[in-house]
Amino acid sequence: MGRLGAAISTAIAIGIGLLTLIGLLAGDNVPLVNDIADFLLQLVVITTAITVLIGVVNLFSVHARRVGRRDTGWGYSLLVIVATLLVIVLVLLERAGALGGRPSTILFETVQISIESALAGLVLFALVYGAYRLTRRRLTWPTVLFVVVLLLLLLGALPLAGLGPLVSIRDWLMAVPVSAGARGILLGIALGTVVTGVRVLVGQDRSYRE
Amino acid sequence: MDSTTQVITVLILLLALVISLIATQFIRRRRDLVALRSIPAYQSLPLLVGEAIEANRPVHLSFGSATLGGSSTLLALASAELFYQTAQRAAIGAVPPIVTVSDTTAIPLGQDTLRRAYRSRDLLERYPRGSVRWYPAGPRSLAFAAALTATLGDDRVANNVLVGSFGPELALVTEAAARRNQGVIAASDQLEGQAVAYAMSDQPLIGEEIFTAGAYLGESAAQTASVVTLDVLRWLLILAITVPTAIEVVNAITDGRLWQNIGNLARALGGQ
Repeated sequence: MGRLGAAISTAIAIGIGLLTLIGLLAGDNVPLVNDIADFLLQLVVITTAITVLIGVVNLFSVHARRVGRRDTGWGYSLLVIVATLLVIVLVLLERAGALGGRPSTILFETVQISIESALAGLVLFALVYGAYRLTRRRLTWPTVLFVVVLLLLLLGALPLAGLGPLVSIRDWLMAVPVSAGARGILLGIALGTVVTGVRVLVGQDRSYRE
Repeated sequence: MDSTTQVITVLILLLALVISLIATQFIRRRRDLVALRSIPAYQSLPLLVGEAIEANRPVHLSFGSATLGGSSTLLALASAELFYQTAQRAAIGAVPPIVTVSDTTAIPLGQDTLRRAYRSRDLLERYPRGSVRWYPAGPRSLAFAAALTATLGDDRVANNVLVGSFGPELALVTEAAARRNQGVIAASDQLEGQAVAYAMSDQPLIGEEIFTAGAYLGESAAQTASVVTLDVLRWLLILAITVPTAIEVVNAITDGRLWQNIGNLARALGGQ
């Protein structure tokens, strides 16, 4: 992009960014700007819908290239292409009324959700392994604290009699330090978002200048 | 949005804008004015890229479900800046980086990030068009995580930079990377993902550190100024939280409420 192109794209980004921000902040107090902001947000929705097509093209091209080059696991890529084509045909037939019921929904619920549920179960083992790995890799005070708190929380969740104090400690941990830490992280992310947003609004972001 | 929220939002934005512009001018005149604190993840990133180049294997960069046009737009831009810096270093290697996304709006962003990185090295002819991959996410992004675990093995990835929007499914990816002795730098804007990133990555980034990649890995004064702005805003926030709290604590001590509350807490911990 030349200097002129960069200047134009920066001006468009700043202009549209400020207009949308003012429209959202002013609301119905400034109807014209609010309408323009709404229109711009609708454009975002339409553009997002178009990117789904880009995604499908990307999926086919990446996996077709893998099959063509006989890369490791190319058989799975072939399976992805065939399955995608089959689902597209199935949905088209369904929309045309050629098939009874909702086979695409049944397929989604029986295949996708079942597989994802199985993977969700695996996450537990990955997390336990992660805690073990953390203690092996860097045994520091924060690590010890992490493991102790984890054990307290797990023990406090056991449905056994006589664990009253542990349950109280677990509830206090969740309500006070965990909640405070979580808010701290979220506040940090919010501050970072504000600063990045301001950089975009004043044209300091690199992505549309180069 | 009610009028109080509108006023506070405008004030915060104006404050950030003024601090950012002033800091940029100061830093442009005197580079040594600001000493950035060390962040291990950013220190180790060039080493991870160097290892990948020497091993002739790709670096894997993932946005997760960070997206353009949604609430994580600015996170996606921050991730793109980090990936730009990483890809710029990796561009001299024979194997291009792999960028994975689970939202289609991030595909053009990923492609543009790689293109700019290769162009900055005058290597645009080697720009790898097929290196940005969309792996569709299911209802809980677990399908995306499963696809990434396969990618780590099939493409013989050397190291991973997983900075974007991830949930607990990040554990599957980091665990797969650990089994293959691959390095991982991870961070997420979701609390569950961030917790997993802290426990399971070699070098985690926490909270606002995600947004400072340009300052640590780049050379622009504006990006260093954004870190200064972040620090000033953080201190103002700390004051806004601690000063009213301190006043409230002093009031509670003087009227005896503090001891009453401590007694209540002790009774609650005793299970009574």
